[in-house]
Parts: sequence; structure tokens; C-alpha cells
Amino acid sequence: MATQHVPTANGTAMNGATSLVKSLEAANVDVMFGLPGGAILPAYDPIFDSTIRHILVRHEQGAGHAATGYAQVTGRAGVCIATSGPGATNLVTPLMDAGMDSVPLVAITGQVPSAAIGTDAFQEADIRGITMPFTKHNFLVTKAEDIPRAVAEAFHIATSGRPGPVLVDIAKDALQAQTTFNWPSKIELAGYNPKIVPDNQAIADAATLIAQSKKPVFYVGGGVIKANASKELAQLVEILGAPVVTTLMARGAFPDSHPLHLGMPGMHGSVAAVTALQKADLLITLGARFDDRVTGKLSTFAVNAKVIHADIDPAEINKNKFADVPVIGDLRETITALIPALKAALSKSQPDLTPWNNSMLKLKTSYPVGYTLPDDGSLSPQAVIERIGQISGTDTIFTSGVGQHQMWASQFISYEHPRTWLNSGGAGTMGYGLPAAMGAKVGSPDSTVWAIDGDGCFQMTNQELVTCALNNIPIKVAIINNESLGMVRQWQTLFYEGRYSNTSLESKRVPNFPMLAEAMGCVGLSCERPEDLDATIEKAMSINDQPVVVDFRVHRDAMVWPMVAAGTSNDEIMIARATAPDWDSQEL
Amino acid sequence: MSIHTLEVLVENEPGVLARVSGLFARRAYNIDTLVVGPTSNPEVSKMVIQVNLEGHSLEQVIAQLDKLISVISIEELVDGAKKPVKDTQPDYQN
Ligand SMILES: Cc1ncc(C[n+]2csc(CCOP(=O)(O)OP(=O)(O)O)c2C)c(N)n1
Repeated sequence: MATQHVPTANGTAMNGATSLVKSLEAANVDVMFGLPGGAILPAYDPIFDSTIRHILVRHEQGAGHAATGYAQVTGRAGVCIATSGPGATNLVTPLMDAGMDSVPLVAITGQVPSAAIGTDAFQEADIRGITMPFTKHNFLVTKAEDIPRAVAEAFHIATSGRPGPVLVDIAKDALQAQTTFNWPSKIELAGYNPKIVPDNQAIADAATLIAQSKKPVFYVGGGVIKANASKELAQLVEILGAPVVTTLMARGAFPDSHPLHLGMPGMHGSVAAVTALQKADLLITLGARFDDRVTGKLSTFAVNAKVIHADIDPAEINKNKFADVPVIGDLRETITALIPALKAALSKSQPDLTPWNNSMLKLKTSYPVGYTLPDDGSLSPQAVIERIGQISGTDTIFTSGVGQHQMWASQFISYEHPRTWLNSGGAGTMGYGLPAAMGAKVGSPDSTVWAIDGDGCFQMTNQELVTCALNNIPIKVAIINNESLGMVRQWQTLFYEGRYSNTSLESKRVPNFPMLAEAMGCVGLSCERPEDLDATIEKAMSINDQPVVVDFRVHRDAMVWPMVAAGTSNDEIMIARATAPDWDSQEL
Repeated sequence: MSIHTLEVLVENEPGVLARVSGLFARRAYNIDTLVVGPTSNPEVSKMVIQVNLEGHSLEQVIAQLDKLISVISIEELVDGAKKPVKDTQPDYQN
């Protein structure tokens, strides 16, 4: 049960639309992203007078990803709003995306009048049915008096337990009908009561297992960021002194500069991070979910490791990998409880981790994530991304699209703080990066926000640059223009004999990205030569009153390494084409 | 045995059957039979579901089912007696 602050408007007569807006205000919404239409139009009238800032997007998908970016930066629920039918279906991708990455999102959609539901009415779509598989929960509201409770429950569900997207679909007649505003003073959901505090026994078992282990590794997932548990994690790591890996969703949860940080595991993870998971005798899994992109072929993943699996979602336990010690609860609570328990356990027995740590740190120095510069002297995409990271600094918020540039941005930028790296991990949604950057900048206006985007991804959602330009949201966009759907092209190089079917975008010819940016009210820059790289980045850094788009025209054939090919074992990690690490020289 | 019978109490709201059957379909769990009926509380319905596990774990089926907000409680029927699922996996009622 959660108790709620009761707003002063309680008991006042108003229509459903006004009660919706009063409900959003009562839920402490300060900004929402949306676009009106017939079914939601009644709500836009009271929005006109509301204290809530409404940002008018150019496509509802932009609203959804912007709300996600806002949520990932602030930790609060992101809010998007759309009309029925096509407006609502344009939110489907962001809702799925938010579900995959456990993002607290509340989507409000208008629905056709309740009497017309089921008649194939104009702009009718069963958005509740459509979004059932990937929302944490959803509502169809057909009575005005039910609006406040649905909104209150939506925010409660979206932000508590394992966060997730919640959709509230409201019939137009419910928005128009007269009602008395009644914000619930408490929320009780018989079927929903997430476990926050872990069991003492589970904590004790975990501590005992850690204190017995000779080759432990912290397998850190995005849950640590959701739970705001980075400080506690740092303490736990200090106490044990074991290596750490951070997944794609967890970059920034633990500082990259820390000597025990081995980097990112997974398909494009570092040799040290991938190998640490493979060779460990214990995985201390914190808010991670054994995704196939991390485990590779599951039957060969970490075969000699016992598993501690700490997560707030009981359904993640034993889903992909058996957990010897499951610990269910909020991760900050869990880690906080684990710290004294581990100290006590280590005071009784403390195995020497030095041989294990040394072999992992040797791998880290032997096989750093790196790249070679193109032979022809052209611009290297990895160098562009690395220099943006270095010049912009570790307080910058980075978002990315999906593809090679995303992997390079996760590899070659140093993340020191949580909530500074936003990407679409579970869904891999091309087009996420730019609108997410817009939402991130709105959520954290004083931060520099860079979207590291692909030329393919950029062409999916760049219309939101207009929104940024008109609403004073000065984001910076780096288009890593390799004139192709680079990641797919890489797979064609490796697995389809270089038959480049439909992956050439020709985006060094069309569109002219700087002109496109200028047309949308942004500053457009371009950079083609390595010697201009730093000056171009510094130019972009100096413009803070307008969005900036930089067309970095990079070499086409760069590839993302290391790589564990899909469906193969992590043991088969390659550091370059047909090149495995020199295992013989390593003692593991 | 791969066939198990679950007695599931759910919120009596429109769409709840779709939530449950949709979950089974998208996670490739096999329903042998499903019966829905009223309870003494008009806000709560009872579903009796026979699930044929075929390689899935009962624990995972129950945990996923329990994630639905509309699902209030789950019990397994064994030889006519109810066995609270709390016994098979600690904490997943939460
Ligand atoms: C919406 C969507 N469609 C297709 C894909 C498949 N896909 C994954 S990466 C990629 C290429 C992305 O190209 P670009 O944005 O230019 O980035 P690059 O890989 O070249 O850095 C594609 C098509 C996807 N992830 N998302």
C-alpha cells in the first residue's frame, strides 16, 4: 500500500479531462511529451492552463522515447500523451522499448467514445490489447470518475518494484463527462506488492558463498542504476576486492576508471569481461538478467560458476540461468544489507583472490578494447566517438542509436557516473537516440547532452530536431556517417561473404545532413578529415543556445571488435576477424 | 508429471482473460484447459488452468503469471488439495 498526498482540488466538480490534468499534477508531473488529436482533444484544453510543461513533438514515437530519456536521467516517471488509433500505435515501439529496459513510463492515450468501442470507429485501435504483452500494466477507462484512480495506480505501478511502462487509455466521453475530482489517498492493489527488503537468510547465504569463492566476479546490470545503488556497490566492491563487469545497460553504474573494472561483457564486450564471467567460480549478479547477448550460447556460459542472483523481479530468478542463491528485493536494500554480512563472513574466512584478480587484470591490459586507424587516412568512427567523450567530459549525458556506433559509444567513452549513458539495450530500437537525448536534456537542462547517432538511425527520428529547436532544447548530435546500415553490413561481411544486400544508404550524397539540420533550425556542421576533428567537436561544444548536428563522415569499413558471434559460445570470442586471443599465454 | 493444475484468483476486470491467455501464448506455455468462474466476491474471479509444461518450469510459469497485476493469488491443486505456491519458490507471491 502506498499513501498519497491529497491535492487541494479534491472534491471539486470538473470534467474528466480536467480531472486527468489535475491527476497528472497530483502525481508531480512537471513535463510531458505529446501530440493532440480528436479523441484526446478534451484533455488538451485543460493542458493549456496547466503548470505542467507540454512539449509538442513531431511524431508520437519521439514523445515516447523522449519520455524514456527523461525517465532514465531523472529516475522519475516519463510521461507521453497521444490520441487514439495511429497516435496510440505510434507509441507502441517506445512502450515495448521501455518494457525491455525497465523504464518507468506512463502513456496517456485518448480512445474513441465508449459507445463506439468495438465498432471499427474512426481512429479506433485496441491499444490496450496491442500493448498488453509489453506494458507492465494497462488500463482502459470509460468513466470519468475512474480517471484519478487509474492515473494514481499507473504512476505507482510504473515507478515501484521493477519499473516499467503503463498505458492509460481513456474514452473520449469519459474525458467530456462531468465528475467530482477525487485523488485517492492510498493505493492498494491486491495483486501487486513488490518485495523491497530482502530476506535475512538470503543475504546470509550470499555472504557465505562469496566468502568461500576464489574467483568471484560482480556481474552488474541496469538494475543497479534503477535502484540508485552505485554508491553502495562501490563499497561492496571495496570490501571484497573482486573484479567488476557492467552490462550495456549498466555502463556508469561503476566507474570505468576503477582498476577492478574489466569493462562490458557480451557480444561486443571486452576479452577480460567476457572471460571473467566464463572462468569465474561465482557470479555475484546484481540487477542483471542473463540476456542472450551477454551469455552467448547458454549451455556453455559460466559453466563452473555458482550464481548469486539479486533482483527485484522474482520471475528473473532461474529464467535463463539457475541461481544457487536468489536474493529478491530492491538492490540498494540488498547491497546495503550485504555489506555488513560480507564483512562478517570475510572475518571468518577470506580466500586469497590475488591469483584470480591478477590473471583478469593481465587480460585487461593485454586486450584493451581498441581500434586501428583506417589505412587511407580517413576519419575513424571510433576516434570520433572517443574524442567526443574526452573533450566533453564525464559529466556529459550520452545517448545512442542502435548499431556499430552504439557499441563504440559503450566501449570508447568512459562512464564515471550512473544515468550518463542512455541506450536501447533490450529492444535495440533504431531511432531511440535523438528523441531520448531531447528528453534527457529536458530532465537535466544543465548537462551537456550528446546523441551519438548512426546515419541510419538519425533518418528514423530526426524530425524531433524541430521540436528541440523550437523549445530551446539545445542537444548535440554526432552522426557517425559511414553511409551504411553499418552493423548489418558488418554481419554481411562476416557471415554473408560480403554480399551487401540493401545496407548501403549513400548518406554521404543524400541527404545533406548539415543542410537538413539548418532547415530544422539547428546548427549544421560537418567533419571529414582527422585533423579537423578536435576543432569541430570544440565548435559544437561552444554552441549552447541551439541544437547542433555534426555530420562526421567516417570510414565505411570499420568493424566492432571483440565479437562473440550470435549463437556461439563466449569461449569463441574474436578480437579481430578470425583472430582469437592468445589463450596459451594466459593463466586462467 | 508435466500437467499441473493452477487455481488463480484474478481481478474481475474486462480483459483479464486476455491478459492470462496472452501471457501463456507469448511465452509458449501450453494450456490444456481453462475454466473461469465467479467467487463470492464480485470483484474477484477464479480461473482453473491446466498447464502442460513441456519443458517449461512450473516455477517460471507461476512467476510470470504472478507478475500480472490482475493476478491476486496462485495455488496449485495436487490430488484435490490446495498447495500454496509460496512453497515452491520463496517470495514470489510478492
Ligand atoms: C527499428 C529497427 N530496424 C532495424 C534494425 C536492425 N539494425 C540493427 S543495427 C542496424 C544498422 C544501423 O545503422 P546506422 O544507424 O547507420 O548505424 P551503424 O551500425 O552504421 O553505426 C539495423 C538496420 C533495428 N535494430 N531497429
